[in-house]
Amino acid sequence: MQLFLQQVVLGLLIGGIYVAVALGFSLVWGILNIVNLAHGALVIAGAYLTWLLFAHAHVDPFLSLPIVAVALFAFGYALQRVLINRVIRAPLFFTLLLTFGVNLMIVNALLVLFKSDFRSVTPSYSGSGFGVAGVQVPYVRLAALGVAAALAAAVGWLLNRTRTGSAIQAVAADRDAARLVGVDLRHVYALTFAVAAACAGVAGGLISTIQAITPTAGEPYTLQAFVVVVLGGLGRVGATVVGGLVFGLVETLGQTMVPGLGAGWANAIAFALLVVVLVVRPQGLMGRRP
Amino acid sequence: MQARLNGGRLRRLLLIVFGLAVVLVLLAPLTATDQADSLGLPQLVDRSQIRILTTVAMFVVMASGWNLVGGLTGYGSFGNVAFFGLGAYTCAVAVDVHRLHLPMGAGIALAPLVPALFAALVGLPLLRLRGHYFAIATLGTAVAVGEVVKNVDYLGGATGLFPPILHRADLLFLYLMVGAAMLAVIVSGLILRSRFGYGLIAIRENEEAASVIGVNTTAYKVGAFAVAAALTGLAGGIFAVWNSFINQDLGFSLDFNIQMILMAVLGGAGTLFGPVLGVIVLEFLLQNLAGRGDVAVYAQIGLGLLLAVTVIFVPRGIVDFFGGASRLSLAHLRRALRETGA
Repeated sequence: MQLFLQQVVLGLLIGGIYVAVALGFSLVWGILNIVNLAHGALVIAGAYLTWLLFAHAHVDPFLSLPIVAVALFAFGYALQRVLINRVIRAPLFFTLLLTFGVNLMIVNALLVLFKSDFRSVTPSYSGSGFGVAGVQVPYVRLAALGVAAALAAAVGWLLNRTRTGSAIQAVAADRDAARLVGVDLRHVYALTFAVAAACAGVAGGLISTIQAITPTAGEPYTLQAFVVVVLGGLGRVGATVVGGLVFGLVETLGQTMVPGLGAGWANAIAFALLVVVLVVRPQGLMGRRP
Repeated sequence: MQARLNGGRLRRLLLIVFGLAVVLVLLAPLTATDQADSLGLPQLVDRSQIRILTTVAMFVVMASGWNLVGGLTGYGSFGNVAFFGLGAYTCAVAVDVHRLHLPMGAGIALAPLVPALFAALVGLPLLRLRGHYFAIATLGTAVAVGEVVKNVDYLGGATGLFPPILHRADLLFLYLMVGAAMLAVIVSGLILRSRFGYGLIAIRENEEAASVIGVNTTAYKVGAFAVAAALTGLAGGIFAVWNSFINQDLGFSLDFNIQMILMAVLGGAGTLFGPVLGVIVLEFLLQNLAGRGDVAVYAQIGLGLLLAVTVIFVPRGIVDFFGGASRLSLAHLRRALRETGA
């Protein structure tokens, strides 16, 4: 029972990271109808920025998150404005191809800048934690979950409570109608991508505190963002949160709790679940019927 | 009328030049044999080049297979590598000394069957999904199958399987793979010109309309999926004995998965020779750019840039250069020349 509780806690904590990673991915997919294959690269770019600030300026990784968010926001805005806006109305595979190209460019630029050595961000409190009724909770992961929750709340607030958010949602609902009422499409596209990139950067900052990073470490996160968004359902922040937490739980519980399965089965379980959800409930656990 | 004639003649000329180049490239490896050596012929290609040619042929099979589903039917599959892996493992299990211990020919012959069956089974539920959802469901299937394979001891577990090594068989595998590539192109060509192919295109353009005019959409889609799976599985089977080692990372490699799609789209999805062109161009770039130490990362950046430029300026693929509507195409150039010249 205690083992079960411990695994539930660990699953939820890692689920928080998945939520942070998937928020931006879900936004770009839901609003711009682009599956962003460079998302993992943006996450890792954020992780490297955090590491840079930590290693050279001794900034605490959690304090540097706003700086990372702003930097990635600017980068995302420019990227969408200069490059991706040009194929925004093209079919699915052109945007996939383009974002794959962007992914290649970012990952290899990071390789040039930082080499492929493992880097990790280890503030004094990393590795310590507290125990409740025999269940261990590491501080860093708990803080990461908290930041992920705050990030989800912020994105939800932006989308549902602000004028900019209304413009973004209007564009998602009907591009031409939005333009007719005076929404600057190119600006809103770029803004959406910028917010997503900022979320990715924050997720990267969190990831840098719990695992060693390399320039190529981002690809699994693109894949996991896929799974989380599909699990939860596209287009709503709440759905992404549910998807991320469920994914974290299933992955952690699947490999420790099901007899006969070991650590090697984590991905098999996760992706089998993904396919079943897609076939049985294509709109996701929380999504509305399209 | 005159221009049309010229266009046809130019296209035919290009096709002949291309065909001759292919034949020359395919005959050149023969100079690496002992017989050629004893005749005093100069050796035109070395082992690494034979390896590259075999890889090119392998990707022609995979990109053409993908093209049947992604290009022709309009269902962007992101998991065709599952068929490659299943084919590779089928062949490896068949020829393994401790398992079925069949001759190599039988192993390669069995390789397309298992993926085709698998595709027919999972195709029924998966092909009900569309767009991004289909893409991700197929990707999920590929990863899940790979992970299951890694955890089954009979299939070698995490270590993988080791089909017996054939010595000095480079050329055998090259021509096997080239045979598979030709088969893939011929099958694609036959499908493109058949009732089946027109049905698939109808599904791509408007599935409801296709169904209304009497296309059995489920059967057509699953059929295309199974044919693509059989071709891709064949390439996997040959790869397993050629490489004499197969594990999850190789058989279900996400790199291969992305590359075959890139090649088909880069060359021109939905066309017959587009995927072939895409394979040649991308593989040439990858081989020349990737293997040079420090330069490699800059080269990868260049590749990313090239992809971006292609998508923005030549959206219908390289094949569009030859008589297409792109502003960079030969046809456009000819029109422009004629207009200014006259």
